[in-house]
Amino acid sequence: MLPAILLSGLAVGAVYALIGVTYNVMFSASRVMSFTAGQLGMLGGVLGAAFIGVLGLPSIVGFVLTLAGCALVGVATEIIAVRPVLKSLEQHLYVLSTLALALLIQQFTAINWSTEPQPFPTLLGFRDGGVGDEKFWLPIAACAATVVGLELLYRRTLIGRAFLAIAEDNFAARALGLPERNLRMASYALAGVIGGLAGFASGQLLLAFFANGAMLNFYGFVPVALGGLGNNRGAIISGLGLGVFQQAANFTVGGVFASVAVFSVFIIVLLVAPQGLFGAPAQRRV
Amino acid sequence: MKITRRGLTLGGAGLATASGLGLSAPALAQSEPIRIGWLAALTGPSSAPAIGFDRGIRHATDAINAAGGIGGRQIELVVRDTQGDPTKAVNAAQEMISRARVHAIWGPTNSGESLATTPIIGRAKMPNLHPCFVDTLIDPARYPNAFRMAPSNSQIDDAVSDYGVNILKLKKFAVVGDTTGYGTTTVNSSSAAFAKRNAEVVYRGQIDATQPDLTPDMLRMRNAGAEAITIWTVSPGLISRIMNVRATMGWDVPLIGHPAMGSGEVGQLIAKPQNWEKTYILGFKNCSYGPDGKLPGHVQTFVDSIQGKINLDDSTLWWIVCGVDAINVIASAVRESGGTDPLKMIDFWNKQNPYPGLYASYTWTPQQHNGLPQSDLVMSEANSQRQGAYKLAPGYV
Amino acid sequence: MSAVTNAPARPAAAKRGSMGMLRQLLPFLGILAAALILPAVSNDYWTLIATRAAIYWVLVSGLNLVVGFAGQLAIGWVAMLTLGAYTTSVLVLGNVTTPFPAFVALAIASAVGAVFGFIVGLPALRLRTFYFAMTTLGFATIVTQIALAWQDVTGGGIGVPGPVLPAPFDTIIGFYLFCLGVAVFCTWITANVAHSRFGRSLVAIRDADVAAESAGISKPLLLGSVFLFAGACAGFAGGLFATLQSYISPEAFTFELSVMFFISILIGGRGSILGPLIATIVLTWLPEFAAPLVVWSTFLYAALLLLIVLAVPGGIASLLDFRSRRKIEADRTIIPRPELLPEILGDRTTPGAITLKNVVLSFGGVRAIDGLDLAIEPGQVHGLIGPNGSGKTTTLNVICGFYRPEAGSVTLGTKPLAVGAPHTRAAEGIARTFQTPRLIGEASVLQNVMVGGAIRGQGSFVESLLSLPRHRRDEAMLRHDAMLALNIVGLGGLAEVRADRLQHSELRFLEIARALMLRPRFLLLDEPAAGLSVEEIRCLGLLIRAISRQGTGVLLVEHHADLIFDICDHVTVLNLGRELAAGTPAEIRVHSEVVSAYLGS
Repeated sequence: MLPAILLSGLAVGAVYALIGVTYNVMFSASRVMSFTAGQLGMLGGVLGAAFIGVLGLPSIVGFVLTLAGCALVGVATEIIAVRPVLKSLEQHLYVLSTLALALLIQQFTAINWSTEPQPFPTLLGFRDGGVGDEKFWLPIAACAATVVGLELLYRRTLIGRAFLAIAEDNFAARALGLPERNLRMASYALAGVIGGLAGFASGQLLLAFFANGAMLNFYGFVPVALGGLGNNRGAIISGLGLGVFQQAANFTVGGVFASVAVFSVFIIVLLVAPQGLFGAPAQRRV
Repeated sequence: MKITRRGLTLGGAGLATASGLGLSAPALAQSEPIRIGWLAALTGPSSAPAIGFDRGIRHATDAINAAGGIGGRQIELVVRDTQGDPTKAVNAAQEMISRARVHAIWGPTNSGESLATTPIIGRAKMPNLHPCFVDTLIDPARYPNAFRMAPSNSQIDDAVSDYGVNILKLKKFAVVGDTTGYGTTTVNSSSAAFAKRNAEVVYRGQIDATQPDLTPDMLRMRNAGAEAITIWTVSPGLISRIMNVRATMGWDVPLIGHPAMGSGEVGQLIAKPQNWEKTYILGFKNCSYGPDGKLPGHVQTFVDSIQGKINLDDSTLWWIVCGVDAINVIASAVRESGGTDPLKMIDFWNKQNPYPGLYASYTWTPQQHNGLPQSDLVMSEANSQRQGAYKLAPGYV
Repeated sequence: MSAVTNAPARPAAAKRGSMGMLRQLLPFLGILAAALILPAVSNDYWTLIATRAAIYWVLVSGLNLVVGFAGQLAIGWVAMLTLGAYTTSVLVLGNVTTPFPAFVALAIASAVGAVFGFIVGLPALRLRTFYFAMTTLGFATIVTQIALAWQDVTGGGIGVPGPVLPAPFDTIIGFYLFCLGVAVFCTWITANVAHSRFGRSLVAIRDADVAAESAGISKPLLLGSVFLFAGACAGFAGGLFATLQSYISPEAFTFELSVMFFISILIGGRGSILGPLIATIVLTWLPEFAAPLVVWSTFLYAALLLLIVLAVPGGIASLLDFRSRRKIEADRTIIPRPELLPEILGDRTTPGAITLKNVVLSFGGVRAIDGLDLAIEPGQVHGLIGPNGSGKTTTLNVICGFYRPEAGSVTLGTKPLAVGAPHTRAAEGIARTFQTPRLIGEASVLQNVMVGGAIRGQGSFVESLLSLPRHRRDEAMLRHDAMLALNIVGLGGLAEVRADRLQHSELRFLEIARALMLRPRFLLLDEPAAGLSVEEIRCLGLLIRAISRQGTGVLLVEHHADLIFDICDHVTVLNLGRELAAGTPAEIRVHSEVVSAYLGS
């Protein structure tokens, strides 16, 4: 029983963690929290199911196309909902513009895909439903791959260092002559890829379902809030922890009370430690 | 495919609404069309039944109109998509009553919206037929205008627990539902139905339809000693997960309960086709294949007559024939009572004993507005769907 | 203070006021007239839709203060509607207690809504905007789930019947008129708040929160009141909603409904009442008009929201705001009238000096202030100069309580000033201006100035809601003093102009006028001469000098050495967070280190 809870908890947690990283990547580049993070996860599942399940493309082609599609949505988010409101960041218009875009994506999917969950195809063939089932291991693998990939990107590549510079201080970065706008668009594309990867890898677990976006928006935000804004390590640890906590609560108290428990923990942590458990840079006000 | 299906229905609905809501100048009663309001959850979650009903309704309406209408009067459908949202349904019902001035209303189809609209339609004394299961919707004293053309929840609970206790001869049951209103409520009433038959409910619980892994829940059911699992949800995702975990655990336990377990979507979501076996769902005598693979005579005739006209493969037969019956029951009331006087129409329905329909033989009296006799409810094999109908479950002769 | 409160308003101004009032009222009266005629010229269906719009407005009017005025993005306010609806229904039904009369149940629903509005609002006091939006969203989900699970009380998924109001409100028309009456009442009380010091303070929190804090506006107290109020409105609306629906189940309280409430306010325009009212009516009616498009309705709401945010951030209200499109004179000069100063600054007790002793503050290892001593004497102008990064503004922020020094003390007279509590400074009579002016662009110049005197009002939030005499006295006093302050700084002619239409130099004087509203004992000016012309700097100097002669101690952080040497009584030169030199302007001018390090270049 315990391994089952732990495994499914880690699998779900890996998805939450990846959506948390999606939030963070967008935030680091633009100081904007975007409601489209969860929708990218939803699209990863829906596009994967559409390309592989409905159109019958080979898995690898479907995978690449899904990530490309999500990257495109990421860039579109930047152009439509973020760039126009960056000038007046302190008015928080981005909350509204990204909320609007997220709703557009969700409703469009509901109308043109389906309002019922649709199946996601088997990718590797391990579908025994037990501890060896790919539906648990794909999200965990995706999370591990993202951690390693981001680490390599930030440590080893020039563009990764530029991302870090922008995240640290975008005024200074611009003063240094970094192409801030292009880097921001690249960050949003990267966020799209990570969100899409989360959705694709969890397709079998969560199914291709339009309402997953709203669900992931919230459960993907919790790791960000707990881990500290912009703190990827915090998001990954909190995400995995949240997944295990949620599955354990599901098991011990069941359905409704499990979500009440998650929400209560979220609120309490936020009130006690508004900067998250792992810390985030303080804002300068005057 | 789903997408096209939805697109087509929606287009049709829009057209019908447009023509139905035009300024209806006071016409002579003899030539005025018979306006039937259809409160349909055609889009949004849980829209599948309404889409099925809609096909039957349009088929029957077209058939009557092509034959010259009723006493020279054509039938005009006034359709509004409620999306299953009670707020939209209340607006739509009032619009049909006060603005479109319909003569009778069919629907709504989902529980939340029906609960909200029933008092409003009742206040207007508008003849109302609906296929919704909630028991409290039918109360001839409070709502003498409302008639049910489907089983009530307690009839369904009786049918399912009867099957588990008296036909499968089992003693210990797990009863689970999803966390929606329907799920939580039905788990309680279903458990009570088992208790009434002296069976033991060893486990009851709610499962969030989006919960990714059900192994913990299923283990608890097995540990509690359940011999059958009764499932109340319309979520294909939840149903298929239960089936897949059952197979993984190697647990040979029968699943009984909600008809949604037999939907085509479940078939797509299960890991292996054999995971769908040993699953028995509520069905209806008139829409079930007997041992000879045939439906009852008059229903088989109807199905043969609509071959190629109505797609039965992605819907459920009983929704379609119930829709056909709805229009015919209203049309008969107009024909036999000599017009669209609401009191006379209601009076006509109160005397049906029985009204021979395709879906069932409806029986209504002034004291009893639940149309379906208990004997029309049977159980079927979930994975046996062919053209929207199912094979009778083992145990029926 | 009482001396000015009783000063009679000039008759001409009063007349202009009542004309403007009428013009403002006209659209509301038009909508009310249309609402009253509607049942007579249409059918029950349109009456139902109008009833629905009235009920939604009861909720939106309260939420408007939270979203439109205070700028708190409460997306999930449908939760309060849910709570109100269930509370009323369950109490009237009597499945838990003995049945309550409908009106008592409605009152209790209001109270429940208020309590939960407050609880949900709490995180807004500490959290960033996006966090708060998420919290309300999460809360809305939880409320629905609890309604589903708590079957004994809520009836679970089957729900409970809604209450029926007693005669004569039990008919379609009777209930409509009742809801309309409540809606009118809500419009009136929210308008009262909007036009009170509380309404202005809310907008200040939204657009210039640092300035609001410096003006002594208590964010927790004010937001707390507004959350209570918006919760109460929503709770009451919930009870009415349940009556209208005749039966409630969790499905009725959709996210779409919540989004509609929220979007109504933004489409209507932040800080307006008429705009959101129109938007609520239109958005309630729109799905009926476009019934075949129902499946696209949320999509259309979202598209509309995106369009509004990107193209018309001011919403309907900005489209209707014809006054702000009227031309203002382009060629204007600022002529301060310091001779009026005694009217506002006269007759105050003289406290001791503000004294900084050995203050140390570092940012991430860099010592921004490194053991600074400083004394600002009443009635004197104290100049603070130094190169960029020498710690001038940081010093000012330490005095104002925005920064918490690691060591050292800040005292006023003999009393230590609370560290890290900027909102307490206004009560001590310490006012300030900002390097980049922090003003409410959408509000008029006069309203901006009135914000500065927020803490001088006597009436409570409830008195403002109901426009009781104390509230009206406060308003008259604040308006009178604000006009006076504007005349003193030379902006009297621009009182009714939107602040974002002013030139940069005018904004600097506007900030001084706002600071004067506190009748400050100390005035801290952060580079007030930046961006001013030579003539404007001369006027500024005269004004500052005159203010100090009224007994106010002035701290002047400046780069313009000429201005400093002209008007200061005492000058401190900072370098790398330390005092390089201090003395009279004459002494500093010849100080060798200062000359070589700073002035010489």
